Amino acid sequence: MLLLAVLAACLLPLCLASSDSDYAKLKQLAAAGNGLIKLDEHSYNILTAPNRNWSATVQFTALDNKRRCTPCRDFDPSFNTVAKAWSTVPAPERDSHFFGTLDFDNGMATFQKLGIQSAPIVRIFPATDGPRRPASGVTTPISYDLTYGYEPGPLAEQLSKYTPVPIPYKAPFDWGRVGTFAAAALVLVTTLRFISPVLRSRWTWAIGTVLTCLVMTSGHMFVRIRGMPMSGPNGQWIAPGFQNQFGQEVQVVAMMYGLLALAFFMLTTVIPYQTSPQRQRVQVYLWSFVIFIMFSVLVSCFRVKNRGYPFRLFL
Amino acid sequence: MAVAYSLPSDVSPATVTNTRSLLRIIALALISGAAIASRLFAVINFESIIHEFDPWFNYRATRVLASEGFYEFWNWFDPTAWYPLGRVVGGTIYPGLMATSGVIYNVLHALHLPVDIRNICVLLAPGFSALTAWSTYMFTKEMKDESAGLLAAAFIGIVPGYISRSVAGSYDNEAIAIFLLMFTFFCWIKALKTGSALFGTLAALFYFYMVAAWGGYAFITNMIPLHSLALILMGRYSSRLYVAYSSWYAIGTLASMQVPFVGFQPVRTSEHMAALGVFGLLQIVAFAELVRTHVSSKQFQSLLYASVIGMGILGAGAIIGLTYKGWIAPWTGRFYSLWDTGYAKIHIPIIASVSEHQPTAWPSFFMDLHSLVFLFPAGVVMCFRQLRDEHVFVIIYAVVASYFAGVMVRLMLTLTPVVCVAAAIAFSSLLDTYIEPTEPDVADDSSGKIAETAPAVDAASSGSSTAVSASSSTAKKTKKAPTAPPSVSAVAAAMTPSKKGEKPRGIFGLDTRFIVLLNAVGMLLFFVLHCTWVTSTAYSSPSVVLASQNPDGSQHIIDDFREAYYWLRQNTPENSVVMSWWDYGYQIAGMADRATLVDNNTWNNTHIATVGKAMSSSEEVAYPILRKHDVDYVLIIFGGLLGYSGDDINKFLWMVRIAQGVWPDEIQEPNYFTPKGEYKVDDMASPTMKNSLMYKMSYYRFPELFGTSQAIDRVRGQQIPKAGTTLDYLDEAFTSENWIVRIYQVKKEDILGRDLKSANAFAQGKKRKRTKPPVRRKATV
Amino acid sequence: MLKSWRCCLSLFLLGVLGPGVVSAGHSFENTAIVRTVELGGSLVHVTTTYAVKALEDGSRLYTLALADSEHEKTSWLEAKIKGEAAVLSLEEFGYSPDGGAYLYTVELPNALKANGTANLVVETVQTHVTYPWPDQAAQSDGQSLKYETDLLVLSPYHTAVQRTKIRSPLPQIHSYTTLDDFDDFTTESPVTKSGATITYGPYYNIPPSSNKDFIAEKQKHVIVHYAYDNPMLEVLSLKRTAEISHWGANLNIEDKVHLQNSGAKLKGHFSRLEHQSSQYYGRPSPQMLPALTLHLPAGIHSAYFYDLVGNVSTSHLRVAPSVPKGVQSNLNSVMELRPRYPLMGGWNYSFTLGWDSPLRDYAGWDKQTGKYIVGVPLMTIINGAVVNDAEIKIILPEGATDIDYSPPFPSLHSNLSTHVTYLDTIGRPAITLHYKDLTYNHAGTIYVTYKAPFSTLLRKPMAVAAAFISLFLVGFAAKRVDIRIK
Repeated sequence: MLLLAVLAACLLPLCLASSDSDYAKLKQLAAAGNGLIKLDEHSYNILTAPNRNWSATVQFTALDNKRRCTPCRDFDPSFNTVAKAWSTVPAPERDSHFFGTLDFDNGMATFQKLGIQSAPIVRIFPATDGPRRPASGVTTPISYDLTYGYEPGPLAEQLSKYTPVPIPYKAPFDWGRVGTFAAAALVLVTTLRFISPVLRSRWTWAIGTVLTCLVMTSGHMFVRIRGMPMSGPNGQWIAPGFQNQFGQEVQVVAMMYGLLALAFFMLTTVIPYQTSPQRQRVQVYLWSFVIFIMFSVLVSCFRVKNRGYPFRLFL
Repeated sequence: MAVAYSLPSDVSPATVTNTRSLLRIIALALISGAAIASRLFAVINFESIIHEFDPWFNYRATRVLASEGFYEFWNWFDPTAWYPLGRVVGGTIYPGLMATSGVIYNVLHALHLPVDIRNICVLLAPGFSALTAWSTYMFTKEMKDESAGLLAAAFIGIVPGYISRSVAGSYDNEAIAIFLLMFTFFCWIKALKTGSALFGTLAALFYFYMVAAWGGYAFITNMIPLHSLALILMGRYSSRLYVAYSSWYAIGTLASMQVPFVGFQPVRTSEHMAALGVFGLLQIVAFAELVRTHVSSKQFQSLLYASVIGMGILGAGAIIGLTYKGWIAPWTGRFYSLWDTGYAKIHIPIIASVSEHQPTAWPSFFMDLHSLVFLFPAGVVMCFRQLRDEHVFVIIYAVVASYFAGVMVRLMLTLTPVVCVAAAIAFSSLLDTYIEPTEPDVADDSSGKIAETAPAVDAASSGSSTAVSASSSTAKKTKKAPTAPPSVSAVAAAMTPSKKGEKPRGIFGLDTRFIVLLNAVGMLLFFVLHCTWVTSTAYSSPSVVLASQNPDGSQHIIDDFREAYYWLRQNTPENSVVMSWWDYGYQIAGMADRATLVDNNTWNNTHIATVGKAMSSSEEVAYPILRKHDVDYVLIIFGGLLGYSGDDINKFLWMVRIAQGVWPDEIQEPNYFTPKGEYKVDDMASPTMKNSLMYKMSYYRFPELFGTSQAIDRVRGQQIPKAGTTLDYLDEAFTSENWIVRIYQVKKEDILGRDLKSANAFAQGKKRKRTKPPVRRKATV
Repeated sequence: MLKSWRCCLSLFLLGVLGPGVVSAGHSFENTAIVRTVELGGSLVHVTTTYAVKALEDGSRLYTLALADSEHEKTSWLEAKIKGEAAVLSLEEFGYSPDGGAYLYTVELPNALKANGTANLVVETVQTHVTYPWPDQAAQSDGQSLKYETDLLVLSPYHTAVQRTKIRSPLPQIHSYTTLDDFDDFTTESPVTKSGATITYGPYYNIPPSSNKDFIAEKQKHVIVHYAYDNPMLEVLSLKRTAEISHWGANLNIEDKVHLQNSGAKLKGHFSRLEHQSSQYYGRPSPQMLPALTLHLPAGIHSAYFYDLVGNVSTSHLRVAPSVPKGVQSNLNSVMELRPRYPLMGGWNYSFTLGWDSPLRDYAGWDKQTGKYIVGVPLMTIINGAVVNDAEIKIILPEGATDIDYSPPFPSLHSNLSTHVTYLDTIGRPAITLHYKDLTYNHAGTIYVTYKAPFSTLLRKPMAVAAAFISLFLVGFAAKRVDIRIK
């Protein structure tokens, strides 16, 4: 009993001392890399020490080109900006939460220890003792859900739940965009006199309308929202599956729709003005043929998307 | 002059008109018949049953309305929904649908026709689709003429995009909403053209009906102001517009505020501010016009215009200011997610989790609209040719609706009518051009001849009257003739149909007519085939009942849902509470008649997250939650045996996500993936996954079914570990024939006060000796 | 009230009045009584044979006695002469207080001379006499029932010898009352068991037993505990609606049945796994009901089987060709219906079963009275099930007059009402009958006679035509009235 107490008594200052020195080291590291600590095995172990009265956010990544981890390189800048934003808060809060980045090449052992197979991963290590120990007592690392996107905005917003004070992140004011917008407006106003006939012409609007309808009805928004690639790997341009498509399909399908619509328009409104019977006859046959062919192509494309489709034309 | 083919010329005009109207009535009747008949596949293939999920609630509410009367229904508090919160049904629904079928029910019974309320509900949508066809006919008639109207009616009667939400049994608000939408628009156009306050009021009344029937009324609320605004900007302000809009807005808004669920939103929320703003603007413009007619000083007029614009801007500024002040609520999430498409995914996972809120890929456009999808732009262009006020409406409608349809699959429904209208315009003008028998001759002819042959033409083909009207109308304006190569000049002439001597000349020869018409008719036939196929295969299965094939090819019906729900209804205490994921809430309430925690009207995110948490956390954590909510039974859907992919394991990640939104430090989505970041249920699955209640309930005693052979989950195509899961806090109460529905009973606390885990272990130790015979799977299906 | 008065009178007659009647009380002797009890699920069939000897001439009225408990469980009672088909007429005297039993008198076909003998066979069906024991059984273990009865058959006459045989469906009889202390009326062992049969008796010269003190002193109570491996079914309520339509020449019959497996309750929970495996190994659990087989009338069509959540797709119907009325034939359409889930002990399943059948198979027209006669089947037998509470409603064509009906046996209570359905103007007369505890013996026919003049047939088309004409007239007028503001 007594022995134990003695043991504890002589152990206590030791570990305190160690943690103190570590804490100082961390602060100094953070200051050096303006808010962000470039971690390696050793500093990582310090940062995530079992009895820490600070909390930390660690990004596990593989930035080296030979790792060929594009998402890592996409995500890294936004993480750095958030860390930088954090470094601007007043010292007492700032030094109770650290941002660190552990690159695969600096910390393979850690990656293996944690069994991390994919990067990037962001984990938040809550404080395990001291005042900022979470009330729920859960001190296991919390992973940041990357489905919120790679932008710094949501990242800062999510991380602020775990920092002593919200991260003072502000999206940088986009001067470039505003400038271009203003310039465009200016140009528009100045040239209004000259382009007003174009704006007043119904056919400008007609073309705009029709293009919008075509693009929308050929799944442009799907590609936008889902962030589908232009074309699939190994260069296939038709995405498999009924509820799925690539960017290229939008163009092709819109083109087909447009051609068919044009054919109808010609047949209905242009050809009747034709004065010579022969030329008119030729045009009629031509456009009818176009309709037939394009429609069969369209149907065959649809058969590719929807396997069970029983009907087919011409091809 | 030359005629491609001759027509009987000895028919009196009276006979012609009578025959035309008769033909028109017959055609409409046939179209209605086709529209109704093509929606009955579901009844013929299966039975007269309510489909899917939401309709079950509407059906239940309608039963209350029919049995208890309207006032009881109006202040009906349903204690069994959202247990223990309950739900004030009268104030949280759009009562239009129930009221409609309630009225029909009472009328029929007053006539001594005791039709079952279920059949009324099942057949309501087909019935109203016939009305939709009629109102589309009226609408299109205003755009072009009767023949286009008939085509439009035929299109919308059978086009899959509309059938998908209106087959027999899909008893949902959309069933009647599309009819109301089209008819309101028709009344609006009519009011705009005639400037009659009567039609404006009619539009307002049907707008009120629409508000009472469907949340999508916001579409009308913004369409009509947009149209008016466009007209004003195009300098087409007229007293007709003023009368129509003012009567519609004043009456319509006051009426819509009578619906409790809407209440004061028309003056408090941003969705409705456009209408208010345009109303104000109209007053200003009207005043300006008034002044202008009396004052005739140029400077004053310009000043006036300046002031008008200034006032308009002021008004807009006022509205924006109020919004920031918070007097006007900003856009609701669902509405906002239409503009910022990433919004829902991050902020409202419940909305994002619904499959019909996903964006639309082009195959589903083609599936739902087929050849109309490319006739549609052609029709829109033709609207530009003679740009009358109503054509502006169609154009705006086309742009807006095609955007929305691209963003959300379910909004395909609002796109379909305008597609039908535009396509009909395009198609009928094609037919007009090529059925018209008069052949042009190279010498210039007067439009008089065409005009006099016109009636005879109409007798044969009730269509080509526009060719006449167009030509005669275009003949009015005169400009100088162009000096360009023929083809180019032809195009130019088509673009601006107002040049002297450039009126459409017509088509030479029979063969040209023949080939074009053959092509067109072939396309129509293909359209019909396509619609029939899509309707019968894709859109006519009531997801309550699954169909499969017997070895001998005959239809085998998989009825697990009703089996389990009926078991609940017949063999559990009246007051027991059932917990399930919210998709099944309405069905449980409707078929099993038991209290549920959450259901498909997802108004309380926290409550849903609670269920999600219970499902996705371990037994020990879930048990107190279950007990606190007095849950007696837990119901889950498991498709692993049959390969039914819409089961709860596939929805599980949404449960996790929604729970994480409320308890971020207890539930974390990444913990449910393997270290490689895959979603697995086999022995690679992450421990959190394996310990989750959902996983345990899904695979409880599942491997035993395969005996010695390896257990396979047919949906995920993964092997389930032989060491089956164990349940300590729940008992398996019932499992349906194909294991699709599994119901578990929540144990009461142990009598001896032990925690149930140890109590169970003790009991297990007792009856270890009992050994089960090796089980082989009985051949199902 | 009436009943009690009647029984008082009968006793009065028996006890006090003229010697003839008094002797009627004692004018017989039972040379032998053999009672055979066929144990079953919820129904128990009891056959009692009285070998009767008359003690004096002209004695015709033989009196039966049923103990109180027995009487309330008995739902069917029928007396015949052995080997003859004719059913003897029974008169109930109700409860006799001093007899401690319910008395019936059977009128023998012909009066017996002194020492003349007759063999009287009395058949009864008892319901709700058995109960599951133990009252809970797990999915896989068997089911056992208990049956209780009185040992001695009561009779107002002296009995020379009597026996009671109790036959169980299976040889497994777990236990039965052995009557060790019972030694009067008999010398050898009072009870013997052979195979599935337990025989009590024979017991010799028993005094007239239908009186209180005998019942109090001598009567014994026996209990048999036997295995029963079929589901024990009860129909809690049966609502049958028979609608006669002259327009469609159609008789539509619709049963709303609330079925319950009243056997041993399922212990623990239902495991689909064990169920499927036991199916696979061909030994399904004894108290489970997988499917019902019903024998519906021949010549029916468009049968339907649904419950509160819609059509039940697991039913098959084999239709037998229609049988012209009057012709005797045992052709039946066989309806095989599987409930949505196997019916374990204590589970309920309520469903609706209906069908149409050509009216000519059931209806006839009587020339001289000018009335239609329709025979409506009273119930459809569900094998081995007792119908606790039945309500049969017969809907006659609209405008049917002087209605008259004769059920095969008296109903508890019945009433006439009006039923309004498709396009009716005055509604259709409907007869409603109520019964309790129906068994397979009760599946009789209710004969309804009514007048339906031809004019009633025209009522419906007239009404519809009138409605449409008025509609057209309104439309006609509206078209021609100009409501525009000038």
